[in-house]
Amino acid sequence: MGKLYDELLKDYRAKEGLKTCINCGTCTAICPAAEFYRYDPRKVMDIVQSRDEDEIEKLLKSDFIWYCGECMSCVTRCPRRNGPGLVIMALRNLSARLGYFTCSEKGRQLYPLTRILTGNILNYGYCVYPDTFKWEDHKESGPVWKWHLEHIEDTMARVGANFKGEGPGVLRKIPRESLDELKSIFDVTGGTERIETVEKFSRAKAGEMGMDMDDYFRETFEHASQGHLNSDGD
Amino acid sequence: MIYQGKQKIWADYQKEIPDDHWFYVRSCIRQNFFPGAEKMFLEICRGLLKKDFYETEHHTTCGGIAYHCDTIPQETVMTIVARQFALMTEAGYENYVASCITSFGNYIEILETWKEFPELEAKIRELLWKACKREFNKPKYVAHASDLIYKYRNEIAARAKFRLVNRHTGEPLRAVEHIGCHYAKMFPSRSIGGAEYPYVLSGMIEAWGGNVIDYPERRHCCGYGFRQYHVKANRGYSISNTYKKFESMEPYHPDFILTNCPGCPYFMDRWQYVIAETEGKTYGENGYGIPVLTYEELASLVLGYDPWDIGLQLHQVAVEPLLDKLGIEYDPSAKYKGLNRKDIMRPELPGVLRCC
Amino acid sequence: MKENIVIIGGGIAGLEAAGQLLGLGYKPIIIEKSDRLGGHVADWNCLFPDMTPAKDVVGRLIAGATEANIFLNTEISFVNKLKDSYNIMLSNGISIITKIILVTTGFSVFDASKKEEYGYGVYDQVITNRDLEHWFNTGNDRRIDDCGMNAVGFVHCVGSRDEKAKNPQCSKVCCITAVKQAIELKQKFPETMVYCFYMDLRMFGKKYEDFYIGAQRDYGIRFIRGRVSEVSENIDGRVIVKAEDTLSGKPVKVTLDLLVLMAGMVCNPDSTKVANMISLPIDSDGFLKSRDNVADIIDSPKDGIFYAGACTGPKTVPETLAEARAAALKIHLYNKTMQ
Repeated sequence: MGKLYDELLKDYRAKEGLKTCINCGTCTAICPAAEFYRYDPRKVMDIVQSRDEDEIEKLLKSDFIWYCGECMSCVTRCPRRNGPGLVIMALRNLSARLGYFTCSEKGRQLYPLTRILTGNILNYGYCVYPDTFKWEDHKESGPVWKWHLEHIEDTMARVGANFKGEGPGVLRKIPRESLDELKSIFDVTGGTERIETVEKFSRAKAGEMGMDMDDYFRETFEHASQGHLNSDGD
Repeated sequence: MIYQGKQKIWADYQKEIPDDHWFYVRSCIRQNFFPGAEKMFLEICRGLLKKDFYETEHHTTCGGIAYHCDTIPQETVMTIVARQFALMTEAGYENYVASCITSFGNYIEILETWKEFPELEAKIRELLWKACKREFNKPKYVAHASDLIYKYRNEIAARAKFRLVNRHTGEPLRAVEHIGCHYAKMFPSRSIGGAEYPYVLSGMIEAWGGNVIDYPERRHCCGYGFRQYHVKANRGYSISNTYKKFESMEPYHPDFILTNCPGCPYFMDRWQYVIAETEGKTYGENGYGIPVLTYEELASLVLGYDPWDIGLQLHQVAVEPLLDKLGIEYDPSAKYKGLNRKDIMRPELPGVLRCC
Repeated sequence: MKENIVIIGGGIAGLEAAGQLLGLGYKPIIIEKSDRLGGHVADWNCLFPDMTPAKDVVGRLIAGATEANIFLNTEISFVNKLKDSYNIMLSNGISIITKIILVTTGFSVFDASKKEEYGYGVYDQVITNRDLEHWFNTGNDRRIDDCGMNAVGFVHCVGSRDEKAKNPQCSKVCCITAVKQAIELKQKFPETMVYCFYMDLRMFGKKYEDFYIGAQRDYGIRFIRGRVSEVSENIDGRVIVKAEDTLSGKPVKVTLDLLVLMAGMVCNPDSTKVANMISLPIDSDGFLKSRDNVADIIDSPKDGIFYAGACTGPKTVPETLAEARAAALKIHLYNKTMQ
């Protein structure tokens, strides 16, 4: 592998998102993450454009790059046509590829995310699906969602959905051959490889932390340490 | 507020939207949480307005959520999207309409990236061929489904049974409009109204008789943040952003919130419930929340569809106070029934948030 | 000396050049589109760094140019290139044949409503530097509360150093203008909190830094290093400004009674029009292109056509006047070589 900066700039999102930054703070001013987390997208841009390999490596191994919500509000306002949100995506991609994501708590969340989301896509053809969106994991979804899930055949039929049905319609069953095509796309485009990479590094990290993969899943999915938030105090 | 100033900006961001013949693709989140909304979209466009909207069961997720949760590489999401375009091409369509804002943003971003880096488009064509033996034409036009309801807003108004007017006071209802971030923030010129004062939802509200509220945090994200919600440990991010918006809109006493994004109505609906249960705070009148609607749900209400046929029982925040203001009659006992009034119990009532 | 010299634009550059040319024995012709002389400076109240009344400066310049032929309310309809001269047809029907043209078409103020996120023309309490200067002159603006305001903000670089607004250049005078206007406001409303939101403070001119020090030390004006990202209006009609204080790395949100946008300088569309008529090139910054940006800024690439002032880029008043004098001398020397 070449230098981290060069690797990063191979990513089209970095090409699009990193022009020249003047550190004006326009991005941070309206960043939903900067208001909540100890996070400053301006500094991410500054570190990347410094081309300082040590600093970039630190960044890739830090929680910092995982705070962004990818809302892209920063893209609208930057006077220099940068896209800090896009640079973040490229950084995350590189961190995932190199396994650096396991070095930070927020980075390690890539494991449950990958399991849940790529699992949904490959098993059902949807990113979000009732069978895996459990009320127990999502109590904020309220008693209505709990009731909806408990009676989903009926609630879906009531509003004219085609839940798990043949043919088109709301939450229809995606035909097997289409799911096979998705799998094939994952195989040829690096999607499958990415899942395996995340799995491999996460497994190693779980071992290091003395956890089995179920515990590691729960830990990374549920646990938040002190110190991430602006409201945490010093 | 100088209304004419906004009108001047809106005039700069109008787009020509083809009137008919669309290839329709659905939204993952909306099918789960607002399944009635998509049904009503097709019902209004096909059934009522007699337009041609084609859907194939073979289309899938666009992968947008997984992509923005950084779990799949860019080539993967691009090839999934290329496959969707291939399905459109095979079906003989050129106009592509997405139900989801994340998808819409995804499609626009991909097409723009291909424009700038044609070698990447060539690579994706190759990958799609390798994976699926399919080829595609790029859509002539990509729209979000709310663009179409906006386009048809006057036809809907002409058929409306109800106007967005409080029947007790005769005053226009006060509406908050909330636009999904990926609708216009990345490519303002591809939207109706631009990124700062989007008109796509305001235009519907105005056409149907309501008043739009502009409040300080109007442009702020609902707080989805992809991984900031899907990972349980991060959900503080999500609720704190929604909370910020509600605190900001509270002094304006909105009668309802209109959204065009899949996640936003879910978060603005459900986090109101959580804020009520944890903080004891509610934002509607008399202990209720502020109803949050999708554009299809609102269109369906003004057109006179039954609230439970369009799925409003699946909202956590009760919509009844809004129905009462609109003068829409409804059968409370039918709200939580299945087909043919089948008894399927009912959701538990929250402790603080008043529900029906 | 019968040679016609046509000066296009009756702002301070045109007036100063005309005054100098009169002194050298010429009878220049000033063509001015509007109904009065003095251009943008005539709209201003006081000028930095010594708070000289703008009307005194403009008054002196007009007095020095009264002997020139001045056409007000007059535009150029078209220009025909003759063998070694130009035939200029004016909107009043008069045509002039000349070998020498001085372009002093100046700049336009950036249309602040184009920075949509700042809400000019949408939110009542958002005004521009020019609006504020108008209020200093007339005391007449319903948006400014004479009974005092709690907080006022200034946004630097509105439509300057902004690729999205298609103006990558620095407008040069806005930093010092903001400091000047902030001090003037503070003098009128000592209790008001005044903020300046800036990216870089470019205090390059004579006594500018003194001004800045005074603003901080004597007036307690707060300088926040961060570009304003978004402006919104609250229920009281006050404006909320979001920026990052980049020196502390924290997002800041302040509620203000008035927000002043420092709209920058852009090329005057009339300059472009004139340039098209006589085939003058436009530089990559959108302003008129000089023969050389170091040594020959007042020379166009065409013989007999000269520039002075902000038609070639943002300039201060003293810089503009210096160019006008230099252009007058250059024209004089050029005329001598022609004979």
